[in-house]
Parts: sequence; C-alpha cells; structure tokens
Amino acid sequence: MAQEAAAWAEKFRRATESDPIIQCYAKYYTCDFLLDMEALRVGVQMRDGQVHNIEINPAPLDPHHFSLHAPAETWRKMSQKHPPPFFHGIWAASVREDLRIEGNITVLMQNLRNFTAQFELLRQTGVPV
Amino acid sequence: MAKISPVIGRYVTIDVDGLEYRVFWLENGDGPPLVCHHTAATHNHQWRHLLEDEDFTSRYRIIAYDMARHGKSDPPRNAEWWKEDYRLTADHFVNFVTAFCDALELDQPTFLGSSFSGCVALHLALRCPERFRAIIPLQAADYAPGWWLDWWRHPHTNAAQVCSSGVWDMMAPMSPDDERWLTLWYHMQGAEVLKGDLHFYSMDHDLRGRLHEIDTAKCPLVMMTGSYDFLTPPEVTRATAEQVDGCEFIEMKNLGHFPMSENYPLFKPYLAQALEIIDRKLAP
Repeated sequence: MAQEAAAWAEKFRRATESDPIIQCYAKYYTCDFLLDMEALRVGVQMRDGQVHNIEINPAPLDPHHFSLHAPAETWRKMSQKHPPPFFHGIWAASVREDLRIEGNITVLMQNLRNFTAQFELLRQTGVPV
Repeated sequence: MAKISPVIGRYVTIDVDGLEYRVFWLENGDGPPLVCHHTAATHNHQWRHLLEDEDFTSRYRIIAYDMARHGKSDPPRNAEWWKEDYRLTADHFVNFVTAFCDALELDQPTFLGSSFSGCVALHLALRCPERFRAIIPLQAADYAPGWWLDWWRHPHTNAAQVCSSGVWDMMAPMSPDDERWLTLWYHMQGAEVLKGDLHFYSMDHDLRGRLHEIDTAKCPLVMMTGSYDFLTPPEVTRATAEQVDGCEFIEMKNLGHFPMSENYPLFKPYLAQALEIIDRKLAP
C-alpha cells in the first residue's frame, strides 16, 4: 500500500510538472492543500507551479490552506476518464455529491484555475485508494 | 480566398425603464425569428455555431444579441452606472428582452434563453406569452438560490479566473477541449457583471407557486437541460416543467450548462427536436 501510494505520488508530481496548462498559467501557483480520500490522505505543497512535496498521510497537525474530503468511492468516480455527472469537478461534487471543501477558501479561489487543472490530472493518474 | 461569414452584426439603441442601451446583435438566416440569449456574464458568441448552421438559417432568422453590459453592448449611456452596484431584476430583464424585440419589429419571435436567460424565459412565458411564438428555456428552474456571491469579484482573487473556472465544472468532461476553452474564454471577459447577473438568477427570480399560471396554449414551452449541469440538474428542470401544464421537458445527455457552446453537434438534434415539438403543437 505504501509503495503504491508513493508510486502514485511520483506519477502525480510528473503529471503536474509536465502539464502544459499548469505550466502555462502557474507561475504564482503556491499553496498547500490536503486531499482526504478516507482510506488515505495526501498533502500537496505547490511552489511557483512546481510540486515541492507530496506527503502520504501527513501528521494531523501538518498545516495546509484548504482541504477536500470525500469517501474513497467518490474519489474513484472523480478520477475516471469520463466521470459520471456531478463527479466531474470540485464544484459539481461539492454541490451535488458528498465532497466537502474546507479551510481557507480565499487561497483556493486565488489558485482556482491551476488547482482545477491539477485536480483533473487525477483522470490520468487515478487515485491511490 | 477570404472566408467571410454570412453572419452580420449591428447596433440598435433601445429604452428600457428610462435607461438608454446601445445593443449589439448578430444575425443570419431567413424565416420566423429565433431570438437567442446568452448565459450570465458572457455574450452572443455562445451561439456562434447556430448562427452559421444552414440547417437552421435556411428556416429561421437567427438573432443573438449581447445584453446590456455584456460583450459589445455597453452599460446605459444616460446614467452614471459606475456609481451604482449592478443588480439585475426580473422586471428589467423582461423589459429588456421585449424592448429589443420591439426595436427590431420582430413578429412573434421564438425565444431561446439559457441559464439566467432560461429563467427569464419562464417570466416571459408567464407575463407576456402572446408576444412569442414559442419559448425554449435551457438550463432553467423555477428557483435557483445560492449563487449571488462576493467571490465573483472579490478583490483578493482574480475574478476572471474564478468565474471561468467555476464555469469549467458546469460543462460535460467529454465536450471537446477547444469548445470548452472558448466557452471559458467568453466567461473570463464578462466576470465583472457575473454577480449583478446572478442577483436576478438567485435573488429576484422566484417563480415557486406561480408556474401553474403559465398558459402553454398561448405559447408552447419546451424546457431542456444537460445531464452534466450541476447548477440546474435534469431533475430540477423536470420538476419545474411538470408544474406547467403542457410543458415539454427534454434531458440532453452528455451536455452541461452551455450546450450550444460546449458541444454544438450534440446540442443540435435536441434543438431540432424542440422546434419540431413546437411546430407540432402549433399545427392547425
């Protein structure tokens, strides 16, 4: 499980840093966020459009600006190549399904273009749950 | 050889509730008028494919305008609009649409509106059905609360990116990338008015308990919604349509909140179906 998660983290890092949309817009993409997938939590630190660190199961008090929480099944649906209706983005899934967005929403909004593009990379990398 | 579009654009000056608007519209085709209204915070390019589709322009005069404050239609010329917080109301919205149709001397146009203009389409059906041949609200509901938010122009964020990134999620993920990006691009250009537009959509628009007053014998009504539209999901539009006696409802599979712009080839047969339903209802 730990090895699989580490392999996924590396895959997600590479996908982020080679994505033409993120690299086009992400000069100031700097924030820390947590993806809570129920069975596993992923902490991501972005600095100037590059992945500074991806931490699998960060400690409870490790800081982040905002976080996304959903059951593993929801993450699996959101990461399909063509997600079913209302699992096709953070707005859709938080309004119509069981994704919760918490934390400093201003930071999320400030980085929304890049975060949205990065979130959709899950459709390429899948999720580690 | 230059590729010149048959679509032409013109301006008309209209008075709406004492405000003077110079309104830009695009049009193409011959036949009964089909008046198309864009979604909130964007402009008439959302109808770019329909405007050049000979299957429709051979049968209809397609007219797509920019609402005041959107696209090439400026804010009012005779008011200090920059000193007021723009908050669109149902009354003003209805009066804008009817004033524009009057200015172009349109006889019994069919009105095709989407999202906030799909909602105003319901007001037109309620208030002045005799003025329209038929009305087609897209992505509409009797009530759409919760979206009159400060985030749309918060000074600590890039409003164009916030508004357009929110829009991104409203489209079906299988719609073509280039069409989704164009749809996003249009929304980036109109971010400043999104909050004011959504004042109508989420605050002043509330037809709960009044839908039974709509008389589809005077004006046929066909409502359509995309299956990926999280803002107005199919069950919400269906529930609205079921409260209007004689209203038809069509769910558009694999389309989102901007069907005419995000994936026109998929939208086209649904529009044709809606127009066929209307023709059938109006047949003697």
